[in-house]
Amino acid sequence: MGRTVITVDDASTIRRMISFTLRSAGHEVIEACDGMEALNQLKLRAVDLVISDINMPRMDGIELTRQLRALDRHKSTPILLLTTESDPAMKAKGKQAGATGWLVKPFQQDQLLGVVATIFSR
Amino acid sequence: MAVLDVQEVVRQQEITHVPLAPGVVRGLINLRGNIVSTIDMRRLLKMPPLDDESQSINVITRVAGALVSLLVDHIGDVIEAPDDRFEPVPSTLGSEVKHIITRVCKLPGNLLMILNPERIVEFDRVNLPVPIELHKDRAA
Amino acid sequence: MAIKEELQKQLIDELVVESLEGLDAFDHEILVLETGEQTADTWNNAFRIIHTIKGSSGCVGFGKVESVAHVGESLLAVLRDGSLTPDSNTFSSLLRYSDALREMMRSIGQDGVEGSADHSQLVSDIQALHSGLTGAKHGNPAFGFFDEEPKAPEALSDTPMDAPTAAPLAATTADKEDTNASHPAGSQAPKGSISDSAIRVDVSQIDRLMNLVGELVLARNQIVQSTGQDADPAHVAAVQRVNLITSELQQSVMKTRMQPIGNVWSKFPRIIRDLCHELGKDVALVMEGNETELDRTIIEAIKDPMTHIIRNSIDHGIEHPEQRVADGKPAQGRLSLRAFHEGGQVNIEISDDGHGIDVGRVLQKAIQRGVVTQEQAARMSQREMLALVFLPGVSTADEVTNVSGRGVGMDVVRTNIEKIGGNVDLHSEQGKGTTIRIKIPLTLAIIPALVVTCGDDRYAIPAASLVELVRIEGDQVDKSVEHIHDAPVYRLRGNLLPLVHLAKELELTALRHEEEAMFLVVLQAEGRQFGLVVDGINDTEEIVVKPLGKEMKGLSVYAGATIMGDGKVALILDVLGLARRAMLLDEGSRQSAKDRDGIKAPDADNETRSLLVARVGANRIAIPVSCIARLEEIPAGKIEHAGKLEVIQYRGRIMTVVRLASVLGIPDGASPAESADSERLLALVVCALETSNLGVIVDAIEDIVEERIQIEIREGQRGILGSAVVQQRVTDLLDIKELARMAA
Repeated sequence: MGRTVITVDDASTIRRMISFTLRSAGHEVIEACDGMEALNQLKLRAVDLVISDINMPRMDGIELTRQLRALDRHKSTPILLLTTESDPAMKAKGKQAGATGWLVKPFQQDQLLGVVATIFSR
Repeated sequence: MAVLDVQEVVRQQEITHVPLAPGVVRGLINLRGNIVSTIDMRRLLKMPPLDDESQSINVITRVAGALVSLLVDHIGDVIEAPDDRFEPVPSTLGSEVKHIITRVCKLPGNLLMILNPERIVEFDRVNLPVPIELHKDRAA
Repeated sequence: MAIKEELQKQLIDELVVESLEGLDAFDHEILVLETGEQTADTWNNAFRIIHTIKGSSGCVGFGKVESVAHVGESLLAVLRDGSLTPDSNTFSSLLRYSDALREMMRSIGQDGVEGSADHSQLVSDIQALHSGLTGAKHGNPAFGFFDEEPKAPEALSDTPMDAPTAAPLAATTADKEDTNASHPAGSQAPKGSISDSAIRVDVSQIDRLMNLVGELVLARNQIVQSTGQDADPAHVAAVQRVNLITSELQQSVMKTRMQPIGNVWSKFPRIIRDLCHELGKDVALVMEGNETELDRTIIEAIKDPMTHIIRNSIDHGIEHPEQRVADGKPAQGRLSLRAFHEGGQVNIEISDDGHGIDVGRVLQKAIQRGVVTQEQAARMSQREMLALVFLPGVSTADEVTNVSGRGVGMDVVRTNIEKIGGNVDLHSEQGKGTTIRIKIPLTLAIIPALVVTCGDDRYAIPAASLVELVRIEGDQVDKSVEHIHDAPVYRLRGNLLPLVHLAKELELTALRHEEEAMFLVVLQAEGRQFGLVVDGINDTEEIVVKPLGKEMKGLSVYAGATIMGDGKVALILDVLGLARRAMLLDEGSRQSAKDRDGIKAPDADNETRSLLVARVGANRIAIPVSCIARLEEIPAGKIEHAGKLEVIQYRGRIMTVVRLASVLGIPDGASPAESADSERLLALVVCALETSNLGVIVDAIEDIVEERIQIEIREGQRGILGSAVVQQRVTDLLDIKELARMAA
């Protein structure tokens, strides 16, 4: 069943890749280039999943997670943070902020599809 | 001339004269929005002008990336000649002619000169004259 | 599967574009860091760029790039955190690193593969710059849920693992809430990254748009032209609307294609820095006019030429610091780039304060290469000698250094610039420096222009140069036009306005009749004004400027050509070129202007001349059209006598006439009866001299021709310059000046 996903990343290549991959699986995908833009969008609508990079200008993924969790609408929206191997501390912060899970960058398309499917099956 | 160089042929067009341009440049024509210089082949070959130019043809040629129109009297056929008919330019021709002709082709009863369009449009930067002698050519 | 390939290809394109842009920004940050002018964010910016490249290339499947990026990212992390202090070696390495990534990206962009270049040396260099390599894959799970984690290996967090709930978080986010709470929902977020206010469009789309708009402008011109006075008002209103909309549309589309030249220039600081390091020179770069906008195609075309010129400057122009100090110059050399719009063209100047071009050596090289002969060299002016630099094979360096490259010479630079309709000029002063000036017309410009007529043709004058229009009634003409040192001027509200007759400059025969009004177009060039005399003034229109072909390149009076509303081609006048040619600017440029246009003194050989051919008795006489003001027919009876001279009253003045037949001592072919007939019409050629006119009576006017002639100068006959073959017959060329003297 098609869900709505928002991908938040300042790297357009990654946004594209996520959009393509998820759209081909039948989902609707919204793009945002940083936390601020995502937050503005998400204040107005609900989504079934937030996939967000951590390191972004204006507002990073951790802060976005915190802000979203403070909104009624997004108290339980699944939030998947994209982390990198070299920053384990970030993972902890993400957890603290209330994220649902993490996915290590870089990942392949099938990996992403698998993770997303798992999330939706919970 | 090699057929591949020729983009198209059009009838005599309204030519806008360009004052101060070299005499062989007859002027400019509008080719579907492109402004193309027209070179009067008769003038280039030092032949007297025609009285009635209504039948003259513009041969639109691509030379060094740009379009140029060569104004000629008449278009002959498109010929395909076997390689063995082609010969290098005879040494008896003046050096100035050799300048614009690449080779010659023996036709029955006729000697056809193959023009090099690039040479025609070459206008020496230092304004040294490029005298061209008389030789008639048919577009091939 | 085709879709998947297509998507993959798009992803790759996206990756390449994003990465290359990022690497340019990275270079900029590193240069900033090197000069010590960084802000708190600079290191992080640099870090993030490499981080992004790593993540993106990994996601698209380019593992090699990813691991190279990974190495740099680690180094940048410690540099950012301050645990490692950089030195100049660090910066150089980082820039080389950036080049390596760039190379890999280009390879991906071109072939879709990462390229086979071996970067292992670079990688170890980077690794060596900081001890240890953080971030090695620890074998942690790639994915997981926070609420399922039994024990995170890197358990740094001190909060217990709970399912994410609102309660604990509300506390921590309370303080952060303020910043956003104050913004009413839906308000404009402060301007941040450029990606939310810009979209990427394929360049070919813009080109297509541009062409369409150009066509629309032409079509619009045609509609406007064919809508007469008596058209239906509703129709007229509609046409006006189309008119307005087209203008706005065209301006907007043009804007999309324009880019600031700073985009090209932004790469230069890096190039210069690298060169200086390599060659041991010290050069400061000054850029002026970064915001000057150029059309895309021009930007593309000048990139390489400019790079080459800059390389040349640093390699061959600017001396080593020790040498400079010894010469009394500051140790640091100065390279300045200047860009500005003028006269419908973009001007770009690149100057250095190096030791200039050694003209002597240029000459030597040129002679050595057989480009010029000793004799030719001896006759050359300074300018011509400098111009030799533009010929292939002439290089001032004794060895062609690695830096400037073999085979890439100023000739290639010139060709590239001329291909887009521009030109390159070089000035150099030994010991002081060299300046290279590039001028490029805004060829794809749609500009407003005034259309005028001269002779049978129309000409367009860019409105930018237009000051005002003046109409002088026929009977006022002679009173209003005065002469100062032989030059015609008009008194416009107290100021003297030099006049230029377009017909004269273009060597056309004027067609204006006596009683008709004179039209002056007051134009401005290089800060000075002059009045252009034309036959008629049409409307102001918007025209699409198209460049003239190579064949017309030397004609400085034209800025291009355009297609008018009726489909005919009209030439666009170059106001500056016209002013120079008409000798309105300093004396020094007078001769060179004429030389440039290929018009030499009358005794030159083999030039194409416009000639009037006339018959006198059995002789053919030729008069240069440039000397001719009018052609008249006068009844013989009009000729009066003043002393020994024959004169007629002409346009309110008394003009001397000469019968060519008598001057040349040949019978004029008329019978005694004819000669006595006062009604007989005589062919009169009114020649313009410096201070007056001279009427030359011939038997008949044959023709006006344009021919390339060879003049054989002949002494012995006063009034005749020499003879030439015109229209395949021997023709005598008249010496008007001499004739005037004879008649006086």
